[in-house]
Amino acid sequence: MNTKNPRNNANIKRIFLTLTIELSLYAVLVVAYFLIVLRLLNGILTRLFQSDLVTYAILGLGLVVTQGVLLEWVTSFILNRLKVERVE
Amino acid sequence: MEFHVAGVTVNPLFLVGIGFLVGILGGFFGVGGGFIAGPMMFWVGVPMHFVVGTDLAHMTGKSIVAAKRHRALGHVDIKLGLIMVLSTIAGVELGARIIEALKTTGNLDVVIGSVYVIILLIISGFTAWESLRALRMIRTDSLDIKDAVGFKGIAQRVHGIKLWPMISFPASGIASISLWIVLAVGFITGLLAGSLGVGGGFIRMPLLVYAVGIPTHVAVGTDLFEIMFSSGYGMLTHAIKGNVDVLMALVMHTGAAIGAQIGAVSTRFFIGPRIRLLFSILPLIGALLVLARLMNGAVTHF
Repeated sequence: MNTKNPRNNANIKRIFLTLTIELSLYAVLVVAYFLIVLRLLNGILTRLFQSDLVTYAILGLGLVVTQGVLLEWVTSFILNRLKVERVE
Repeated sequence: MEFHVAGVTVNPLFLVGIGFLVGILGGFFGVGGGFIAGPMMFWVGVPMHFVVGTDLAHMTGKSIVAAKRHRALGHVDIKLGLIMVLSTIAGVELGARIIEALKTTGNLDVVIGSVYVIILLIISGFTAWESLRALRMIRTDSLDIKDAVGFKGIAQRVHGIKLWPMISFPASGIASISLWIVLAVGFITGLLAGSLGVGGGFIRMPLLVYAVGIPTHVAVGTDLFEIMFSSGYGMLTHAIKGNVDVLMALVMHTGAAIGAQIGAVSTRFFIGPRIRLLFSILPLIGALLVLARLMNGAVTHF
């Protein structure tokens, strides 16, 4: 990328600004989620692992997929509300 | 913190750090990052069968987000990805059954650890050699950086194999290739995913670029699309076999979600052979971590 071009410089600044906002939002959400997961799910998942592996597997897949989609969706939603152009 | 399912005590922030690192790798190189996450987990004392299953689990959530982003950029060949999924799943299941067999014999750590080291060293050496060769070609022949593939002849020879049925992939610029080649790529990477707990991207991406002959940026996106399915199925089958600590995977994924953002944006600043040259260092680090654990047997605590 040619950084001498003023248009490119503006583009780079925009990318980093958007990324910084997005990462800050992610960090807040992730820390909140992180605490909830550690506190609530530890016992439930351990008991399920010991008693019913099929349910454990399905619930685990559901949790992992939900977490992936939810984190992405929530961040996109907040960015739209802030009217910040997304980096794609 | 103690993870009761895997029966190990690991600092969750270290797991978030692993997730963050592999998130960047996923977004940047189009690989799941299992080849570096697996060795790091093994290094801190997670049993090998949990390394394999949990690694696949955390990659599932991460690859969905990363694949979606690359799809938006037009970097996913859906037709190629869907065809490969079929043989990938067969390979994953076989890999998971190999792990079960090794668990019963008690040789899991040594066998899988050794396979890890050998494969990672080969991948690292080959990718570095090819990237440097391609970069030299650009300098000496004024070749367009996007077109520079050090082993273009391999793809041409592979396209010359006329084993019926032949299939085309217009989105990747491939007019005709044997279906069996594509299925073989899927099966090999699926087998590695199921037995090593990796997404298979570190072998699938080079195979897609060098053997199948698709552009690097499409290989990156299609690989992530593929990892979504291979890791999802791999997680399910390994969890049923008692090889997944879901909590550990969720914690790792929180870091990966952030890392994937940085990785996807970073691809704007590096292209073609330079991506592959950077990529070559990572398997080497993974190999050294596995070797360290195998050779002295000691667990590094965080």
